[in-house]
Amino acid sequence: MKKSSFFLLAAFASLPCLVSCIQDEPLNAECDILDVEQSWVDAHPGLLIGNPRVENTRVAFTIQPGSDRTALNPRFELTPGATITMKENGVDIPANGVTRDFSSPQTYTVHSQDGFWKKDYEVSFSPRKSITKLSFENFRLDATGRYYEWYEVDADELGTELYYWATGNAGYAITGMGNAPDDYPSNPDAHGVSNENGTGSKCIRLETRATGSFGERLKMPLAAGNIFIGEFASSQAAMYPRRATKFGLQLVTEVPVKLEGYYKYKAGETFIDINKVEHPELHDMADIYAVVYEAYPEGSDKFVPLNGDDVLSSDRIVLLARIDEPGEPEEWTFFSEPFKPVGNKTISEEMLRENKYAIAIVCTSSRDGAYFNGAIGSVLYVDELKVVWKGDE
Amino acid sequence: MKKIILSLLLLLPLSVAAHTNDEVKDTDNNLLKAALKGWHVRLGAGFNLGGTSPLPLPAEIRKIESYQPGLCFTVQGAAHKQFGEKKKWGLMLGLRFESKGMKTDATVKNYHMEAVNDDGSGTVRGAWTGKVKTEVNNNYLTIPVLATYNFNERWMVKAGPYFSYMVNGTFKGSAYDGYIRDQEPTGTKTEVQSASYDFSDDLRRFQWGVQAGGEFKAYKHLSVSLDLTWGLNGIFPSDFQSVTFALYPIYGTLGFHYLF
Repeated sequence: MKKSSFFLLAAFASLPCLVSCIQDEPLNAECDILDVEQSWVDAHPGLLIGNPRVENTRVAFTIQPGSDRTALNPRFELTPGATITMKENGVDIPANGVTRDFSSPQTYTVHSQDGFWKKDYEVSFSPRKSITKLSFENFRLDATGRYYEWYEVDADELGTELYYWATGNAGYAITGMGNAPDDYPSNPDAHGVSNENGTGSKCIRLETRATGSFGERLKMPLAAGNIFIGEFASSQAAMYPRRATKFGLQLVTEVPVKLEGYYKYKAGETFIDINKVEHPELHDMADIYAVVYEAYPEGSDKFVPLNGDDVLSSDRIVLLARIDEPGEPEEWTFFSEPFKPVGNKTISEEMLRENKYAIAIVCTSSRDGAYFNGAIGSVLYVDELKVVWKGDE
Repeated sequence: MKKIILSLLLLLPLSVAAHTNDEVKDTDNNLLKAALKGWHVRLGAGFNLGGTSPLPLPAEIRKIESYQPGLCFTVQGAAHKQFGEKKKWGLMLGLRFESKGMKTDATVKNYHMEAVNDDGSGTVRGAWTGKVKTEVNNNYLTIPVLATYNFNERWMVKAGPYFSYMVNGTFKGSAYDGYIRDQEPTGTKTEVQSASYDFSDDLRRFQWGVQAGGEFKAYKHLSVSLDLTWGLNGIFPSDFQSVTFALYPIYGTLGFHYLF
């Protein structure tokens, strides 16, 4: 009798153990550059334009033209417990705060606390280059080899790559729907405007894509193809998708006059909304626009980019050039839209000199795609964009 | 399935009611006993309390924020035969319908997950750090095969394997307040407010395990038992990638039995 009682007690005493036996916390597996140390930024006044753009495998600094970049010692904030190294004569040595020559981008390696993971970062300091002609000729697969990304090249600076373009492709990657680079919303296409037979100039092809059940559960049933000047903060992509698209960079040194370029467009068949409800009465529409706005919110001295929530509504907007009714041209169609003042703001010469304006150029295959309204299958081609600045005319 | 539960539930009060009419009943019972050649029939009901848990808890699980047992009933019929002159040892075969369920809320760190889109068009794969809510509610038809040992008239212990067929099951929940790193811990980080999941269709149909417990015969026709059932194969197939560690159902059952 006693035996059996003991047995039962022992058996049931083990039950609570199931929920209480938490093991020791494993060491961190992540190896990120989280940010650039603010104290380092503060110690170099007048060097940087805008905020450093910290992405998953890249840190891009835009610096004042004429700045010396041959001896810089950036310091980074890392995942707790992670370490950062650089190669010197084939050996990994600690790299945080080490002075390096950034005439060309430098590679850093971040190692996780648990020692199992590491990640290379390319860190670049590039003089600000005014944007004029944007031809979508320069692209490559991202570090994971799954989707495309675009960059500009500064011919005056030994071909320095300028990461001014961003797309939502990194956000689409997480949906698992991209089995090949061509499955992503933003893709290069071989049939650019100046060479329809596909042997010469490339263009960009933006397509509104379905996001699968993962996207639907997050109330994002579609992903419009997009490309824009700015930064895509993929960390925000699932939670605050409109905040993930940080539109604009401080690349304004003159008054812009016109936005020009070529496009063609075909809307997808069925217009759906965020709940995947079909709206036969609605028709998808492309969007191509450029917006110039005050980089610093009133009372701030830090660049705060506009995002998907306020890129067309912020009271910081000064100028806007937009194709109001792009229609659905089947052939390459030239457009030239003037920058029109918004509200009663004007560009001030003083603020221009102080770098206090930002410009965003935005192309998307679904005009209301940021709110997840659009038609899956809408395709927008864009090529040879050009910002005409005052004095260029 | 509901029909089976209902009919079993209906049987219970009937047999209890029959108890009041002892004389008639004993006659019936004697006949029954004779017919079954030493097999004693019993009907019982009880409830399960426990968890469907990895063992041991993997290091990725940092904290169990909450645990809520489900309201899990079991109804069963069994036949018991004791051997030898002293009738110490015996064999009990049964058939029971039971549900095993719970809800948990846990914090995980760097937990590898994979989920195939509903239409099979793609796979979400990554490392999740954040909260995970899980709701499990599985219904089984189970056959226990138990050896019994009687210490005396009142006390008995029993142990043996059981074999379950999952009639239907739910395994769903949500990942919330955290972030996923695309593919691997080095991948792009995406914060997620809440994403639901439902792996009910991936649950394994056949499950088995071991059961052990004790039973106290309080009255001539009524006994109370306490059993532990311990699943020995995980509730998901071993190649299932969405939940990378095996989850074992481990439940305790408090049961009441009417002995004919």
